[in-house]
Amino acid sequence: MTTATYDAIVIGAGHNGLAAAATLARKGKSVCVIEKNNTAGGMARNTTLAGGIEVPEIAHLLYNLHPKVKKELGLGTSRAPLEVQELPAVSLSADGNHAVIRNGRAELPDGRPHPEAEPFAELMRRLTLFADLLGQLSTKSPPSLEGGLTSLETLTELAGLAKLGLDLKRMGKKDMREFLRVLLSNAYDLLLDDLEDGPLAGALAADAVHGAYAGPRSPGTVFSLMYRLGQGGGAQLPMGGMGAVSAAFEKAARAAGAEIRTGLGVARVLVEGDRAAGVVLEDGSELSARTVLSNTGPMPAMMLAGAEHYDTEMVRRMRNQRCKGAAAKVNLVLSGAPEFTGLSPKLAAGRLLIAPSATYVERAFNPAKYGELPENPVIEAVLPSLSDPAMTAGGQHVLSAVVSSVPYGLESGWDEAARSKLASVTLAALEKYAPGIGALVTEAQVLSPACIEARTGAPGGHWHHAEMGIDQILTVRPANGMAQYRFGPEGYYLCGAGAHPGGDVTGLAGRNSALQLLKDGVL
Amino acid sequence: MGQHDRYDAIVAGAGHNGLTAACYLAKAGLKVLVVEKNDWIGGAAVSRSLHEGWTYSNCSYVCSLLRREIVRDLELPKYGLQVIPYEGGASFSSDGGYFAYMSDHDALRREIARHSAHDADAYDRFSQTVIRQCRFIRPFLLRNAPDPTSLKPRDIGELLFLIKQAHGLGKKELGETLRFWSMSIGDFLDEHFENDLIKAHIAGAGIIGTGLGVYSPGTAYVLLHHYMGDVDGAIGAWGFARGGMGAISNALGACFEEAGGTIVTGSGVDRFLVEGGKVTGVALDNGDEYRAPIVASNMDVKRTFLQHTGQQHLPDDFVKAVKRFKIRGSSGKLNIALDALPEFPAAPKGAPFLRGDLHCAESLNELERAYDDWKEGRWSQNPYFDMLIPSQIDPTMAPPGKHMMTVFVQYAPYDLEVGGVRAGTNWNGQTRGAFADCVFDKLEQACPDIRSKTVHAEVRTPWDIEQEVSLTEGNIFQGELTFDQLLFNRPVPGYAQYDTPIDGMYIVGSSAHPGGGVMAAPGANAAREILRNIGRGGNMTGYAA
Amino acid sequence: MTKHVPIGLIETPFHARLEMLSTAKSWTNWAGFISPAALDTVEFEYFAIRNQCTLFDISPMHKYRITGPDALKVVNRLVTRNAAKLRDGRVGYVLWCDEEGMVIDDGTLFRFSETDFRLCCQEPMYTWLLDTAWGFDAEITDESHGIAALSLQGPTSFSLLQDAGLGAVADMKPFDWSEIEPDLWVSRTGFTGDLGYELWVPNEKALELWDRLWAAGGHWGLKAIGFEALNICRIEAGFIAAGFDFQPVHTAMRLGRGRSPLELGFAKMVDFTKGHFNGRRALLKQQQTGLRYHLRKIDIGGFKPADGALIYHKKKKEVGHVTSGVWSPTTKRNIALAEFKAPYAEGITDDLWAEVYVNEEGQWDRRLVPVSIEDKPFFIHSRARATPPRPF
Repeated sequence: MTTATYDAIVIGAGHNGLAAAATLARKGKSVCVIEKNNTAGGMARNTTLAGGIEVPEIAHLLYNLHPKVKKELGLGTSRAPLEVQELPAVSLSADGNHAVIRNGRAELPDGRPHPEAEPFAELMRRLTLFADLLGQLSTKSPPSLEGGLTSLETLTELAGLAKLGLDLKRMGKKDMREFLRVLLSNAYDLLLDDLEDGPLAGALAADAVHGAYAGPRSPGTVFSLMYRLGQGGGAQLPMGGMGAVSAAFEKAARAAGAEIRTGLGVARVLVEGDRAAGVVLEDGSELSARTVLSNTGPMPAMMLAGAEHYDTEMVRRMRNQRCKGAAAKVNLVLSGAPEFTGLSPKLAAGRLLIAPSATYVERAFNPAKYGELPENPVIEAVLPSLSDPAMTAGGQHVLSAVVSSVPYGLESGWDEAARSKLASVTLAALEKYAPGIGALVTEAQVLSPACIEARTGAPGGHWHHAEMGIDQILTVRPANGMAQYRFGPEGYYLCGAGAHPGGDVTGLAGRNSALQLLKDGVL
Repeated sequence: MGQHDRYDAIVAGAGHNGLTAACYLAKAGLKVLVVEKNDWIGGAAVSRSLHEGWTYSNCSYVCSLLRREIVRDLELPKYGLQVIPYEGGASFSSDGGYFAYMSDHDALRREIARHSAHDADAYDRFSQTVIRQCRFIRPFLLRNAPDPTSLKPRDIGELLFLIKQAHGLGKKELGETLRFWSMSIGDFLDEHFENDLIKAHIAGAGIIGTGLGVYSPGTAYVLLHHYMGDVDGAIGAWGFARGGMGAISNALGACFEEAGGTIVTGSGVDRFLVEGGKVTGVALDNGDEYRAPIVASNMDVKRTFLQHTGQQHLPDDFVKAVKRFKIRGSSGKLNIALDALPEFPAAPKGAPFLRGDLHCAESLNELERAYDDWKEGRWSQNPYFDMLIPSQIDPTMAPPGKHMMTVFVQYAPYDLEVGGVRAGTNWNGQTRGAFADCVFDKLEQACPDIRSKTVHAEVRTPWDIEQEVSLTEGNIFQGELTFDQLLFNRPVPGYAQYDTPIDGMYIVGSSAHPGGGVMAAPGANAAREILRNIGRGGNMTGYAA
Repeated sequence: MTKHVPIGLIETPFHARLEMLSTAKSWTNWAGFISPAALDTVEFEYFAIRNQCTLFDISPMHKYRITGPDALKVVNRLVTRNAAKLRDGRVGYVLWCDEEGMVIDDGTLFRFSETDFRLCCQEPMYTWLLDTAWGFDAEITDESHGIAALSLQGPTSFSLLQDAGLGAVADMKPFDWSEIEPDLWVSRTGFTGDLGYELWVPNEKALELWDRLWAAGGHWGLKAIGFEALNICRIEAGFIAAGFDFQPVHTAMRLGRGRSPLELGFAKMVDFTKGHFNGRRALLKQQQTGLRYHLRKIDIGGFKPADGALIYHKKKKEVGHVTSGVWSPTTKRNIALAEFKAPYAEGITDDLWAEVYVNEEGQWDRRLVPVSIEDKPFFIHSRARATPPRPF
């Protein structure tokens, strides 16, 4: 047997792939990251539109970067500089009574407390408490449920769960009961039990289904809301765009000694004797390695190794995985800064939400279920150029909008007409809150879920690589029987958002998978 | 007030759960009174006269979930209960075709293969999963839901039982179980089947009685709730109670009276009497008062505590939790007296599956759209229904040669939206008629001559069901079957073991664990708890002894 | 799409002949088909298998075709054996497992070529095959309702075929198979441990085949038989049967009812070196952690068939049960297949007892009879393998 060139090859230089590479390299392993695009970053990249203006191509805000990852990789230090700015959330209201959420508190645009500030604060207290509790599970491999009650692995795992149980008890009976009640329930009912159905409830409803293929009335959306609130719920604007975040991950990986090769596609993963042995590149050349990690979606990862290396049931689970993307990206280049009714320029630089009520958010999702475009979509928009001068060019501004409830499987197909319809639906929605904005648009980039899939390989263009439903998290993520990052043949690992704990730029899936790999002793 | 007005226990409401609890209590030697607001007993399990000569089950209409342990303990067959299984069912498509669910397994395989060869095997895999899940859940139906916050030995014991059962599944099955419980029936069916008509046929069981759509997570569990019953061991089989669902209540009533119990009908509870945090009895609408140290309410938890209990006796958190309890009604009914058996042109004449449950849903998306209407306060423009003609099997239901048809319709809102206002009172002659027309239009897909054979049709909306049977918002389960309202969360976290903040007062209806359906488990379990709490646990006869 | 499906049992292509021959009127349900339990008398049918030759209608078996460039890949992914080693025109006994290494079913695999296989088995397998072929360039066709088959078994079966103008089978070795005439495929296979053939034709040629064999059968003592007589022979030959000796795991409603090929005694049929196949990782793990059960052939004292009997160690501890048990009329032994909990029957083989309940004219009697483990089939005859076969 020839000696492998690398200890590990990572397929895909998305932030998780980079986190995995950095984690392994920091332990002295030789790592090579292979990226098919010419730049690293996956969904967290900048792109340059006409006129030379830079925009965050897909993801545009940082919500959930995990402190452990940040600390371990040294993100934000001189090794991997990263500067962010906290943004308030502004849930727009047609009557100008916008709801502003700043540091977990509800305010009015003029800074006075929102009339529902109190129930909102209490709701957030509970949700962030619960999110914190669940957060314990995110930094480890999920419980494997493996083995009998006597095995060491199970006992360690049980000890972890016991700590969770203990912390749960420590919350006190009342909160514990509330936690167990709401954990699997739907955001819509939870929010409207305490709040009026207005922009404030709408904002949380939108957050609950952000990037998800679900309406807020769907059970399980309280969980996704808690996941979203994992780091307190604030949103951060990275200076220099999301590309700067990926650049920081990339620097951290390189600093640790990882090699990153871009512009190279992987054709397949080499498997020899039921063990990963390297990769074959699209140009036909082979790179050998003792282990391989894939930052692709679960199904593409399986197909890279070949379905014949998986049992029929596992292939079936992969085929059945819910990963229909339901969020599109619309990037608008504006000839000047738009004006939003009732918003100061400062607030206009915030995270703007078009989600005037929870019912609106639910209604927006209805057409998506049948493969249709919403007439009144839920939108999360941000104008990075208002906060970050580096993001403007020649007085131009960029409005970066995540448009929710846009189905991957559009009944009529994702052609040019569909994309331009989406652009006009988006503009019409914005026009209601920023009259005249349409006239400022000089260029529009519309990325449907299908485009996102084509650009990043994420199955279904899904932001989280796979829906974060209760039936697809923890021990059954990416699939029952494969939740420990181990992905079929020995030495083959899944390190992307399709693995536990899931999506968002957390860095955890990559970090955890690398740690699991090291623990498994396959190197 | 004379001595005869003092009882050991009073049950408010003579629904099947109230009667079941009363039976167990009376058989344990307690002096028990049941009070009922209607002039008849049975709650939503009743047989009444639909039209001269026609008997019908005006609310619940088929039987499967009634626990066999309870039937045996209370000797219900001795009091006239006979459950007859029915033979399959069918879904009719708008192009004149049908899918028949056949009771014979080989014929069913052939029938499925007629629509999709792929789905014939898939059905076996589907049944295996569902039966395994039923086998997993059934032991919990007649046990207490453990309080996870409690350190009482019994709660820990129940929790350990749960863990043991789950652990016994093994790693793979446990994973599959976690998925199953959190999935939507739509996704679950999409994982197994490719044919729309077959999926639509099965999916109904995942949404019946709920405020959820076929693609709402948690509806796979609801399917289980409809499959976990059995008729004589055939898991998932459904049947008719001979003489209508009232036969169940009447048998329970007869059992109760033979055990020495008393039933007073015609006047409902005005309020529960509470002194110093303890229940002391009930005051009826007609002014009569009865005293007992134990009062069990068969009414749903909202009605019990928000309408008939002084709020001063209840902690604020509890009241808030009860207010928050979700009990949205989503289904209506048409009860139709027929001059003759309607024709089903798509099916072979006299096909046995016509004696089962019939539907006209053609795809999961159609069902999901039906749900979207309901969310907005409209009845479904293209509704789902579960239609049966029990008179084909049970001759007691209609005059010779005539027939009775029961059509369960979903979705229909309680608070109907008219002109931007949502209110139960929007249900009037006109809206009811329009609703019925909508259902009849779709019924014609299966039996085009249905209108001409109709002698009389009664329309029942969630509003009507609330008015007559006092189920809040007409919710047939006395509370939605979502995870925030199941097990230790049902009806209120911390009060999931039939007890309430008031000493001696209990919840014995479907608002309590394990929930709705004519199962009788909440009533029986509650009786067990009552007897344990008064130190008479040893007197409990039957399954819990 | 046909308009309506028949309800109740349906007929195989040979039913008209079977119906005529049936004096016992003893029918059973085989996969939805009317199949004879016995046509005449089980005893005479049995001896016809061992002494002359017999026809048994095996049309209800499920038959699937796996074709295409990736057919071999799909088959090898499915079964535990290495189908690459099976030559064209050969038949192999195969088992296949789920991801936990539990047997889904067993059956016979017919290899036409590297790109064309037929799988013949007891359980419906269409969707499983489709799922197994997903992602591969192979097509699955369900031939179950298009191909009729007869099992011709017994010492004079070759002679009969010669007389029927099918003498070309002379060169066929056991597990060979070939298209003897257009649309008539013959395999030298069977379920009796004796000389025998299976004949495969399109449904529409079924009766013609039957009549041809029947016309040649007089001198050779040909008898049509039912399932029960055949079942005695298969136990004598030591063959396992799905639903009797193991529960096909896809039909098990209860957990833990599945058995691995290793537990069923087919370690030799599992090729761990051929690359990944369904259940491989689980079976490797089971090899390490140990088997839970052993299925073995046993000889039982006394004369009363022990079907369903519980087996005890030292007459006290329950350690297994009989899965198929009969009195063997040829070997004059009381034989059975039985499942033992490990380590019984592999590590601990002595002091084993079967508990047999006997009802003699209304009187029930419980007997404990000794059990001994057998390694070889109970019935072995050299004529079963001789090529060319001897005349009778």
